[in-house]
Amino acid sequence: MTPDLIYGLCGVAVFGIGLVGALCAQDRLRRVLALKLCSVGAGFLLVVGAWRTPPATPDPVPHALVITGIVVMVSATAVALALIRRLQSLEADDER
Amino acid sequence: MSVELSPMILAIFLPLFGAIAAFIAPRAAWSIGLATLAATTGAVIWLARDVWAKGAVMLPLGGWGAPLGIDLRADGLSVAMLALTSAVGFLVSIAALDSLKDAARQRQYFWPLWLLLLTGMNGVYLSTDLFNLYVMIEVIALAAVGLTVLNGTRDALRAGLEYMYASILGALLFLMGVGFVYLHLGRLDFAGLAGAEVSGSLIAAMALMFVGLALKIALFPLHFWLPAAHANATAPASALLSGLVVKAALYIVLRLAQYMPFPSETLLTLVGLMGAGAVIWGGIQALRAERLKLLVAWSTVAQIGLIFVAFARAGEMGLTESWKAAALLILAHGVAKAAMFLAAGRIKDEIGHDVIRDLDRAPIRPTLAQFTFALAAISLIGLPPSLGFIGKWSLMEGAMAAGYWHWVAVTMAGTLLSVAYFSRVLTAFLRFDRVRAPVGEHQGWALADAAPLTLALAAIGLGLMAAPLLSFIEIGYPFGVAQ
Amino acid sequence: MTDPLVIFDVALALAIVALAVAALSVRDLFAMIVLFVVFGLLSALAWVRLSAPDVALAEAAIGAGVTGALLLKTLHHLRYVSGTLGQQAAYGVTPLTPVPIGVTLANAIFCGLITLGLAVAYLGAPAAGPGFDALVAEAMPRSGVDHPVTGVLLNFRAYDTLMEVVVLLAAVVAVWQIERGVSDAPAPVLGEVWQGFARLALPATVVVGTYLLWVGAEAPGGAFQGGAVLAAVGLLLLLTRAYVPQPTHRGIARGAFVLGTGVFALVALLVASGGRVAFEYPLEHAKTLILLIEGMVTISIAVTLAALFHGREPVAQTKGGRDDT
Repeated sequence: MTPDLIYGLCGVAVFGIGLVGALCAQDRLRRVLALKLCSVGAGFLLVVGAWRTPPATPDPVPHALVITGIVVMVSATAVALALIRRLQSLEADDER
Repeated sequence: MSVELSPMILAIFLPLFGAIAAFIAPRAAWSIGLATLAATTGAVIWLARDVWAKGAVMLPLGGWGAPLGIDLRADGLSVAMLALTSAVGFLVSIAALDSLKDAARQRQYFWPLWLLLLTGMNGVYLSTDLFNLYVMIEVIALAAVGLTVLNGTRDALRAGLEYMYASILGALLFLMGVGFVYLHLGRLDFAGLAGAEVSGSLIAAMALMFVGLALKIALFPLHFWLPAAHANATAPASALLSGLVVKAALYIVLRLAQYMPFPSETLLTLVGLMGAGAVIWGGIQALRAERLKLLVAWSTVAQIGLIFVAFARAGEMGLTESWKAAALLILAHGVAKAAMFLAAGRIKDEIGHDVIRDLDRAPIRPTLAQFTFALAAISLIGLPPSLGFIGKWSLMEGAMAAGYWHWVAVTMAGTLLSVAYFSRVLTAFLRFDRVRAPVGEHQGWALADAAPLTLALAAIGLGLMAAPLLSFIEIGYPFGVAQ
Repeated sequence: MTDPLVIFDVALALAIVALAVAALSVRDLFAMIVLFVVFGLLSALAWVRLSAPDVALAEAAIGAGVTGALLLKTLHHLRYVSGTLGQQAAYGVTPLTPVPIGVTLANAIFCGLITLGLAVAYLGAPAAGPGFDALVAEAMPRSGVDHPVTGVLLNFRAYDTLMEVVVLLAAVVAVWQIERGVSDAPAPVLGEVWQGFARLALPATVVVGTYLLWVGAEAPGGAFQGGAVLAAVGLLLLLTRAYVPQPTHRGIARGAFVLGTGVFALVALLVASGGRVAFEYPLEHAKTLILLIEGMVTISIAVTLAALFHGREPVAQTKGGRDDT
C-alpha cells in the first residue's frame, strides 16, 4: 500500500461523490459545492500521477496544472454564485 | 530590436488586448471591438495565406517545444474554423451595434465578454495540448455564460445557471480525462496521443473527455441546457452561442478523433445513435416550440446531431473521409445559424414578440429579416446550392458507399422534420389574411439587416465554393498520420 | 502494514471521503460549507503527503479559503433576501421540488458504476508512470528560476498560466455584468473582538503574502498563493468596512484587474525578437521578467479575488432602483 494508491482511489471516490451531487442535488448552492468536489477529485488524480517513490522528487508539471485548475475553478465558482445571488434577488422580488 | 510576430500569436493576442482595452474604456468599447475584429480577421487571412503556401505551420511557444512546452499549430481545418469565427463574429458585431444601441450597460459588457470569448475560441483552434484546451474551454465557458445572461431577465438567468452547471461539469469531466491521459502517457500534447497503445486508462480518458465535450456541445441526451440558454439570450449573443461557441467543443472532438486511437466500431455506432436521437428529438421539439427563438434553438440541437451522424456515417473504415462531411456541416451551420438567430432577433424587435402562432397577425412585416430567415432555412434544410446541401450530400454519399442505409434514413428523416418546422415559420411570414389592420411593410435600418443578410447569402453562396473549401481543409491534415 | 504512515494515509483518505459525503448530505447549508472547508484543508494535507506543497498551499488558500468565503457570502445574501437571516438553520435556499427517490437512486447507481470503472482504470494505469521529470530537470537551468513548479507555471507552460489569468479576468467581468443593480445585503458585521483581531492580522497577512510571492522562485509559493493571501487582506478590509468600494474607484479597479494579464501578455509578445518566439525570455533577463510578471499577476489576483468576493460593481447608490438597460 503506497500513498499514491490510497490517495488515487480516494480521488476517484471524491470525483464520484461530486458527480452524484452534481446530478442529484436540488439546492443551487449544493450543486456548486458538488462541482468543486469533482475538481478536487481530478486534482487528486494529477497529484497522484506526479508522485514518485521517495527520495525521487515528484513531476512538477502536474502540480502546476492542478494549481491552474484550482484558480480556474474558483473563477467558475464565483460566476456561478453571482448568478445564484442575482437569481435569488429577482425571485425574492417576485414573491413580495 | 524589432518584435517578430506570427499570425497565430496575433489571432489570440489581438482579441485579448482588445478585451482589456474595451473593459478599461467602456465608452469606446464598440469602436475598440470593431477594430479588434477587423484586425483579427486580417491576422486570420495572413495565416490562411501562410498555410496555403507552406502547409501546416507550427509555433513552439517559449521555444521549448512539445511535450514540455505548448505548441501552436495551424492547418487547413484550424484556419477554416478561425475564418468562420472571425467572419461570422465580425458580422454579428455589426448587428450588435444596432440591436444593443438602446442598452448602454449591456453594450458596455458585451464587448469585453465577446472579445474574451473570441480569445478562447481562437486559442482552441490553434492549441495542440490537452490541458491547454481545458483552460481555453473554461475561458469560453465564463465569457459565454456572461453573454447568455446579458439581458438580465429571469429566464435568461435561470438558463444561464443551468448552462454554467453543464459547462463546469463538462470541463471537469474533460479535466479528469486529461488526468488519465497523463497517468497513461506522461504527456499531454497531441503528438503523444498519436500512436498510443489502447489501454484501460486511455479508454477511460477518451470516455470522460467525450462525455464532457458532448455536454458542452449539447449532444442528445445531454442537450437539456441548450434550448433555454440560446432562446433566452439577447439576439447577437444567441447568434454567437449557437453559431460559434458550440463549434469549439465540436472541433475538439474532431481533433481527438484525429489523434486518438479509435477503440471500436460499436462506440462509433453509439455516437451515431446519439446523433440520430438528437435529429429526431430536436426536430420534434422544434415542431412543438411556441416561440421563434426556441424553435431556432431546438433546430441547433437537431443540426448538431446531424454532424455526429456525419461522423459515424461510414463506420470506422470511413473515418478518414467522414470528418470532412462533419467539418462542412459545422461550417454551414455556423454561418446559417448565426444569420437565422440575428434575423429572428430582428423579427422579434420589429413585431414586439416572437410567438410563432401570432406572427401572421402582425401588421408589421420586417421583410428583409424574413427573407434572411428563409435563406438561412434553405441552408439548414440542405437545399442546393447551399453549403448545408454539400455537407448533407457528402454525408449521404459516404453512407451509401459504405452501405450504411440507416444513416441515410436518419438524414432524410431529419431533413423532412426541418422542412416541417421551418415551414411553420415561413407560412406565418407569407400569410396576410389574418391581419386586421393594414399591413405596413417595414423597412428596417439597412445596417441592422445587412449583417444577417450577408451571412445568409454566404451560407448559400459558399456551397458553390465547396470544392476549393474542401481542398483547403485538407491541407496539413493527413488523417491518421500526425504532423 | 505496520508502517504508521500507511495507517495515517488510509485514515486521512477515509476522512476526506467521509467529509465529502457529509458535506453533500448535511441538511444545514452553513454546516455544509464548514464541512467543505475542512474537506479542502484535509485534501491539502493529503497533497503535502504526496510531496506537492505548492498545490497544497494553493488548495488551502484558494480552494478552501477563498471558495469557502465566497460560499458563505452567498449564503448570507440568500438568507437575507429570503428573509431567513434570523433563523437558526437554513435548510436550503431554493424552492425544492421533490424528486422521486427512484430517480435519485438510479443516478447514484449510475455514478457509482462510473466511479467503479474509473477506479478499475486507475488501478490498471502504470504506477509512477512516465512523466515530464527528465525534460524538466534538463530544462531547469535555462528557465531563470530554481523552483520547478514556478518554472513550469511561468516559463515552460507560461501560455497556460496567462490564459488562467484571463479566466480570472473573464470571471470578474462576468460577475460585474451579472450583478449590476442587485441591491446588496448588508454586510455581516464583525464583532468588536474580531475587528481588533482583523487590525492585528492585516499587516501580518500582507507580510505572509509578499513572502510567498518572493519565495516562489526557489521554494514552494508563488503568485497564486501569494495573491490569495493578499486577497484575504482585501476580504478583511471589506468585512471590517475599513474599505468601502466607491463608484469613483471603478477605474482603478479595472486597471488592477487587467494589470496582470496585460503585463504578462505584453512581455510574452515583446520578447519575440532576434529569432526568439513569443514567451521565450532571454536567459539573462529571465529571472527579472518572471519576477515582474509574478508581481503584477499577484496584484491582479489579489484584487480580482477580493472583487469576486465583494461581487457587484460599485455603482452610485440608487436604493432599490435598477439601472438595468
